[in-house]
Amino acid sequence: MSDAFSIFQYQFFQHALAAAILTSVIAAMVGTYIVSRKIVFIGGGITHASFGGIGLAFYMGLNPFLGAAVFGVITALAIEWISQNGRVREDSAIAILWSLGMALGIIFVFMTPGYTPNLMSFLFGSILTVGRAEIYVLLVFAMLLMLLFALFYRPILFTAFDPEFARTKGIPVSRYRYMMSVVMALAIVLSIRTVGIILVLSMFTIPQITAMLFTRNFYRIMPLAAMWGIIGSVAGIMGAYLLDIPTSAAIIFFLTLQFLVIKIIMIIRNALIRNKG
Amino acid sequence: MKQPLIVIEAAATGYNSEVVLRDVGLTVYPDDFIGIIGPNGGGKTTLVKLILGLQPLFSGKVLFPSGKPRMGYLPQASQVDRSFPITVKELISSGMKSRNTLIPYLNAGQKQRLEEMIREAGLQRYANKPIGELSGGQLQKALLCRALIDDPQLLILDEPNTHVDKQFEQELYRWLKRLNQQMAILLVSHDIGTISPLIKSIACVNETLHYHPSNQISEEVLKVYHCPVDVIAHGPVPHRVLKSHDHE
Ligand SMILES: Nc1ncnc2c1ncn2[C@@H]1O[C@H](COP(=O)(O)OP(=O)(O)O)[C@@H](O)[C@H]1O
Ligand SMILES: [Mg+2]
Repeated sequence: MSDAFSIFQYQFFQHALAAAILTSVIAAMVGTYIVSRKIVFIGGGITHASFGGIGLAFYMGLNPFLGAAVFGVITALAIEWISQNGRVREDSAIAILWSLGMALGIIFVFMTPGYTPNLMSFLFGSILTVGRAEIYVLLVFAMLLMLLFALFYRPILFTAFDPEFARTKGIPVSRYRYMMSVVMALAIVLSIRTVGIILVLSMFTIPQITAMLFTRNFYRIMPLAAMWGIIGSVAGIMGAYLLDIPTSAAIIFFLTLQFLVIKIIMIIRNALIRNKG
Repeated sequence: MKQPLIVIEAAATGYNSEVVLRDVGLTVYPDDFIGIIGPNGGGKTTLVKLILGLQPLFSGKVLFPSGKPRMGYLPQASQVDRSFPITVKELISSGMKSRNTLIPYLNAGQKQRLEEMIREAGLQRYANKPIGELSGGQLQKALLCRALIDDPQLLILDEPNTHVDKQFEQELYRWLKRLNQQMAILLVSHDIGTISPLIKSIACVNETLHYHPSNQISEEVLKVYHCPVDVIAHGPVPHRVLKSHDHE
């Protein structure tokens, strides 16, 4: 057991914990928006399209996350534009952007001369190699998000819930929706560093549905999802270390396990209450 | 002669350049109570969205002779996502305009008004509950509060009697009768039988609008109503019955 805790003295591990906690907080807020609006599929489109940016950045020798951010933001804005002005079916458009991004990523990576060492780390994340600078980026983004939700909670909520009614009240709905598209894209791209493209959406959904077992209040889902995200991801990092398995997969496993255990406890508790009554 | 709130002239609108309503004319006065009827897909919802400024105007005019009136809107049930995690209080407060757009929160006066409204509607117990826990009637009540909280001059209700029990429906109609003393009301309904004692005139909407300036339930009005019902039941029936009443 002392072995399990001695790991905390290593800097890479401290960084990994910090990244997990900050990613959980970011994903909690943005994920609550995504789950409430039932637009997980849009999140998937943004995530996978950003892989095209990663490939292009590789090819051009740039920072891959810059490429991912650019592709992610453009995709998110395009999806929102289609949903507002749509002559194309939104879900089809998302599917196209989703697979096009992946295809571009694969092509660019293939064309990049030499070995591309980090490719796997983008697909599956590499939380154990997160550096101090990246922690600061996550920290600043998390703080900006909190500020954003603190200031604009009401219009964000109202434009998500009933955009047409919001428009009748003079809220600039389109502006808020585009803003949230950019926020979603940046949050997803920043979280890819921690858990990777393939698993990132689970950080934006599983803690939220776990939180929603306890409350159906948007305002309360956010901190509760952050809590479940932090518990699950820290448990995942510890478990990965102890069992020597990939960290991102372990995080998702623990998040899911946590959800299932709580759900089963609730089912049993409800059954007991019903039997008594 | 009183100033009308809204004058619509030869208006056309639709979706993605596909015209759904054409040559629509309607004048709404401050004390009007207009029942909007018509077949499913006839364009009733599109019409109220045009009035609310949610629909592009392809041609014609929508005028507000005495300035844009404050409008309260109760959308049709299918537009409301009951599983969305929003509380009753938040829902109702979304009907209020935040005075400060930079930091859009409610001021003390608005908060007090919100509490009053919730009390009046008898929704205190549910104020902090998610809307998913409300019954159909309670949800409509909350949506009506949302529409009313900003003291509208024009109240627009799109089929408020769906998913509600008869008792709530009666309660709703009593409220509307009282509210009509202070504001104009447009009530979209598929059931003219129950709303006819309430309304003052009828607009039948099916691709275009036929206004029936009657403040009583007459045989004629009921006949007018049968046209749209027939359309649903037996396929396209021309507006023959309607046209004969279109005498203004
Ligand atoms: N968002 C939309 N996009 C495209 N067509 C629509 C949309 N909403 C309604 N329509 C079409 O417009 C017509 C009128 O619809 P609507 O105004 O909802 O009718 P009603 O409320 O009388 O049932 C229908 O043919 C419907 O298919
Ligand atoms: Mg309708």
